Amino acid sequence: MSTHAPTRLIILASAPLYQAAWQALLSEQPDIVVAGVISDISNASDFLQSDRPTTLFIDHSPPLSSLAQQLKTIAPNSGLLFLVDSYDLDQILPLLQAGATGCISRDEPVAELARAIIAVGRGEIALPPSIAARALASLARGKSATGDLIELLSEREVEVLQLLAQGMTNKDIAQTLILSVRTVEAHLRNIFGKLGVRSRTEAALWATKHGYRPQE
Amino acid sequence: MQAEPESTSSTRVAVLGTLAEFHREPIPYDLEALIQLVANLKPDFVCLEMTPEQWQQQDFGNLPPEYREALLPLAYQTDMVVVPIAEARPPAEPTASGWRGWLMGLCRKGLASIQRTAPNAAAVNQGWRHDLANVLYHLIAWLAGGQVKKEWQMHRHHLAHQVLELARRDPGRRILVVVNVRHCHHIRPDLRKYPDLEVVQFSAL
Repeated sequence: MSTHAPTRLIILASAPLYQAAWQALLSEQPDIVVAGVISDISNASDFLQSDRPTTLFIDHSPPLSSLAQQLKTIAPNSGLLFLVDSYDLDQILPLLQAGATGCISRDEPVAELARAIIAVGRGEIALPPSIAARALASLARGKSATGDLIELLSEREVEVLQLLAQGMTNKDIAQTLILSVRTVEAHLRNIFGKLGVRSRTEAALWATKHGYRPQE
Repeated sequence: MQAEPESTSSTRVAVLGTLAEFHREPIPYDLEALIQLVANLKPDFVCLEMTPEQWQQQDFGNLPPEYREALLPLAYQTDMVVVPIAEARPPAEPTASGWRGWLMGLCRKGLASIQRTAPNAAAVNQGWRHDLANVLYHLIAWLAGGQVKKEWQMHRHHLAHQVLELARRDPGRRILVVVNVRHCHHIRPDLRKYPDLEVVQFSAL
């Protein structure tokens, strides 16, 4: 039976010492393969493959939003994970709007970074759930509401959607519901189809807009 | 309610034994070997002999290092979903007085020796070490008396039932059950009774 392929990781760091440090640290993590280390976005396209989940991990000096926009153009199918000083919504929201898939604080442990790299490679939003929920709520403001489709969703799909709207990754959803990650992915595909959305971000925004927020 | 997506009829299950009760003994092999072994298997679920309460409260202090330092951190940063399968009050380690206690102590020394001399994590799961550990645990249970034996039997049935429930909840996935070696020879036949489970060697998961 097939299992997930390891996540391809491209490290974008301007300083050579940081490049070497990130490569040494992350190449030891399970399910992550460091495919390249670059100092400049002009080299990024050399390492991109569309058929494998790929994460670009960016440890770069500001301005990050314009960098996110450029990277999204070069690598539209890759996840963009930005290293940030702190989870400040004022910094994170523009990054998400510019195309970032997730952000990780410098204060987080290595295991958290490894989880975020894997999640982002699959297009999942990688942020702490409390920050993700607030970010989604902010992004959902101004979006027009679509019709009430909730009756089309199964009980399990509603549960998955609620957890998605809390900003959880597929792994977190799977662990919460004691389902495999692949089953969660299958539920999400069904949800996307039923809601007529193309991505988990759109589905999460739909859920946020329709009140499927965490029970606080 | 619709069926679970991507479900198939058969769920593969492998049981991996550890000599976890000897966690205070020095472990000769690097836990990295166990991490590597399980990381390569990439199971969808890893069932651990811990209570739901321990899991919910993330109370891992009393868990053996195989769990605490190897499997739980590995599962945390990969796709493996942890499933606590022990009941709320698992049976305590059997004790006895007099000659029975003395013999039990001897058996434990034998088990500790198996643990100490195991060259790697796989060694207690195959060959003479696996079988000898099972015999020694049998002897300990026999020395402890019928009531203790019955408690352990119920505990194993509970573990097996939890695995079955999981397989029925999310069929067609790959489940790795990591428990004390004392349960391996009992859980495998228990699980084999169910046609929707395919019990395989851990290396064939």
